[in-house]
Amino acid sequence: MQILPFQQPRQPLPLAGYWRLKAFNQRITLLVSQRATWVNMGLVLAVLAASTMSLGMGSVQLSPAEVWLALAGEGPAMHQLVVKELRLMRVLAGIGTGAAFALAGCLMQTLARNRLATPGIIGIDNAATAFAVASVVGVGSALAPPAMSLVGAITATALIFALAGSSGTQGYRFIVVGLGIGAIAGAGTQLILSWVAIDDANAAFPWTIGSLNARSPDAFKLLCAGLALGVFFAYRLAKGLNALRLSETVPTTLGFNIKRLRAASLVLAVFLTGLAVAVAGPVGMVALLGPEIARALCRHRGLPILASALAGALLMVLADLLGRIMLAPLEIPVGIVTAVVGSPYLLWMLLNPNFRSQP
Amino acid sequence: MPILLLGCAALLLLTSLASLLMGAGDTTPWQALSVLLGAGTEDARFVLFELRLPRTLVGLVTGMALGCAGALMQTLARNPLAEPGLLGVSAGSAFAVTLALLLGASSASLSVYVAQAGALAGCLIVLSAARLKGVGNDPIRLVLAGATLSSLLLALTSLLLMFDQRTADEIRFWITGSVAGRDLASLRHLLPSLLVATALTLLIIRPLAALALGETMATNLGHKPGRIRLTAVLIVALLVGAATAMAGPIMFVGLVVPFIARALAGADIRRYLALCLFIGPIILIGADTLSRILVYPLNYPLAYSLPLLALPYY
Repeated sequence: MQILPFQQPRQPLPLAGYWRLKAFNQRITLLVSQRATWVNMGLVLAVLAASTMSLGMGSVQLSPAEVWLALAGEGPAMHQLVVKELRLMRVLAGIGTGAAFALAGCLMQTLARNRLATPGIIGIDNAATAFAVASVVGVGSALAPPAMSLVGAITATALIFALAGSSGTQGYRFIVVGLGIGAIAGAGTQLILSWVAIDDANAAFPWTIGSLNARSPDAFKLLCAGLALGVFFAYRLAKGLNALRLSETVPTTLGFNIKRLRAASLVLAVFLTGLAVAVAGPVGMVALLGPEIARALCRHRGLPILASALAGALLMVLADLLGRIMLAPLEIPVGIVTAVVGSPYLLWMLLNPNFRSQP
Repeated sequence: MPILLLGCAALLLLTSLASLLMGAGDTTPWQALSVLLGAGTEDARFVLFELRLPRTLVGLVTGMALGCAGALMQTLARNPLAEPGLLGVSAGSAFAVTLALLLGASSASLSVYVAQAGALAGCLIVLSAARLKGVGNDPIRLVLAGATLSSLLLALTSLLLMFDQRTADEIRFWITGSVAGRDLASLRHLLPSLLVATALTLLIIRPLAALALGETMATNLGHKPGRIRLTAVLIVALLVGAATAMAGPIMFVGLVVPFIARALAGADIRRYLALCLFIGPIILIGADTLSRILVYPLNYPLAYSLPLLALPYY
C-alpha cells in the first residue's frame, strides 16, 4: 500500500466573491468580501451625500459646492458660520448616534439570535432616557446626563436579566420582560416631566422622543470615544459572534467561551446605547433598521459590523434632514420620524407569515 | 363561587373606604371617618365629597371597564398577553383624543365618543392582525405588533403635540393616566355607553365562552363566530374608550385583572368575568390610594405604579 505524502495544493481553491490580499511575503492572506467592500464604500458615499445635503438645507440654502468650500475654510464668512458653527455639529452628532445605535442593535440581535432583540424594543433606550431626563431636569442628581443614561441602560439590562431568570437571552421571555421594563421606564419619564415646571418639561420634551437638538458637546465627545472603542471591540468579537449565528454549539466547538462572548457583546451594546441616548434620546428604531439594511445589502456570511454602523448613520442623518425640511420652519424630532417610518416596517416584519426571528 | 364574589366585594369595599379615608391634605383618616358617619368639619366634608369621592368613583368605573375589556380581549385573541393598553387600543384612543383637542375641542367638553372611535380603530387593527396566519399562534409576536402599533400611534400623538403648546399642556398630565381631578359630570357622560356595553356583554357571554373552545366548537353549538367577535370588539372599544376618556391610557390593568380572576375562578369566562368587575377596581383604586400615600404631598400619576404591580406577572 502506498502512502501519499501530503501535498500543498499548487493553486489555492478559488473562492468566488472574495479578494485575496497577501502581505508579508505571502505569509498572511486576507480574504476580503467583494460585496461587503462595495456595500461599505457605497454607504460611505451615501452618508457623505446625505451629510452634504443636510449641511446645505435650512433657512439658508447652500449648494453642495458651497458647503464643501465652506468646510474647506473658503467662501463667504456667512456660509462658513452657518455650516461650521451651526450645522456641522448636528450632522456629526447624527452620524455618531446613528452608528452607535445600529452597532448596538447588530450586536444585540446576534448575541440573542433574534432580530427583535434590539435595545429599543427591550427597553434599554427608555430606561436610559428616564435616568438622563431625571438628571437634565435636576431631580437631585449630581451626575451628568451621559453618566446617568449609562447608569439607566445598565440598570435596565440588569433588571431584564434578573427578571428573565435562567432563560437568559434565550427565548422570548427576555423580550417580554424588556417590553415591561421599557413601559415602566417610559412611564417614569412621563412622570418626571409631569412633576417639573412646564418650561423645563417643554425643553426636555423633544429630547425624550429623540432629537438632535439638545445635544451637549461633552456627551458628543464621549460618544465619539465610545464609538471608536466600540467598533474596535466589535471587530474583536466578530469571529465568535459569527460562529454564534450558526448555532449555540458551533462557537463552543471552535473554542470560544460562549458566556464570555455574550457578556462582552452585551456590555458593548449597552454601553453604546447609553452613550447614544445621552446625545440624541431614544431613537430605538435605528437599532432595528440599520442592521436589517446592512444584512440585506451585504448578504455575505460575515457579521455586517461596519455596514450596520454606516447604515445607521445614514438613516439618522436622513431622518433628521427629513424632520427639518418636511414642515419647516417647524422641526420634527428625529425620533418621531424614525418611529413613523420604522414602525410600519416592524409591523410588516412581525405580521409576515414567513417571519424568521434569526438574524 | 358566591363566597369568592362576596370576598372580592368586601375587599373592594375596604379599598374604596381606604381611598376615601387616606390621601394628601390635612384631613386625617379620623376626620374623614367622622364625615362618613355624618359629622365632621366643613373642610373635611369638602375634601371627602368634592375631591376624594369623585376620584374613587372614577377609579371604580375605570377599573371595571378595563378589567372586563382585558378579559374580553384575551378571550378574543386567545392570548393571555392581549391587553388593551399593550396592544395599542388605548393608544388609538389617546391619538383620537389628541386629534380632537388639536382641532379645537377642550378637554372639559371632550366627547367620550371620540375616544371610543379611536379605541375601535385600534382594536380592529390589532385583532385583524391576530387572525393573520402565523401571528395567531405566536402570542409574543402579536404583543410586539401591538406594542409597535402603540409606539407608532404615540409618535403620531407627539407629532400632533409639537404643533400646539395649548394641547400639549392640557394633555401632559392626562396622557400619563390619572384619576385625579375628574368630576362627577364627566362620569354621567359615560353612563350610556357603559350601559350598552353591559347589555351587549350579557348578550354574548355564552357564545364567547363557546368561542374560547375554538371556532369549530362555537359553530357546532349554533353560534356565529364572526358576529360574536365583532360584538366583543365593539364592547372592548366602548369600555376602553370610556376608560381612556376618563383617566388617560392606563396600561396593565387589563393584563393583571383577568389573570388573577382566572387563577381564582378557573378558565371559564362566564365565571371569571364577574370577578373582573370587582378585581379591576380593587387594583386601580388600590394603586391610586397607594400612590397617594407613598408620595405624600404629591399626587402621583397612576400609570407609574401600575406597571410595578404588573411586574410579578411576567
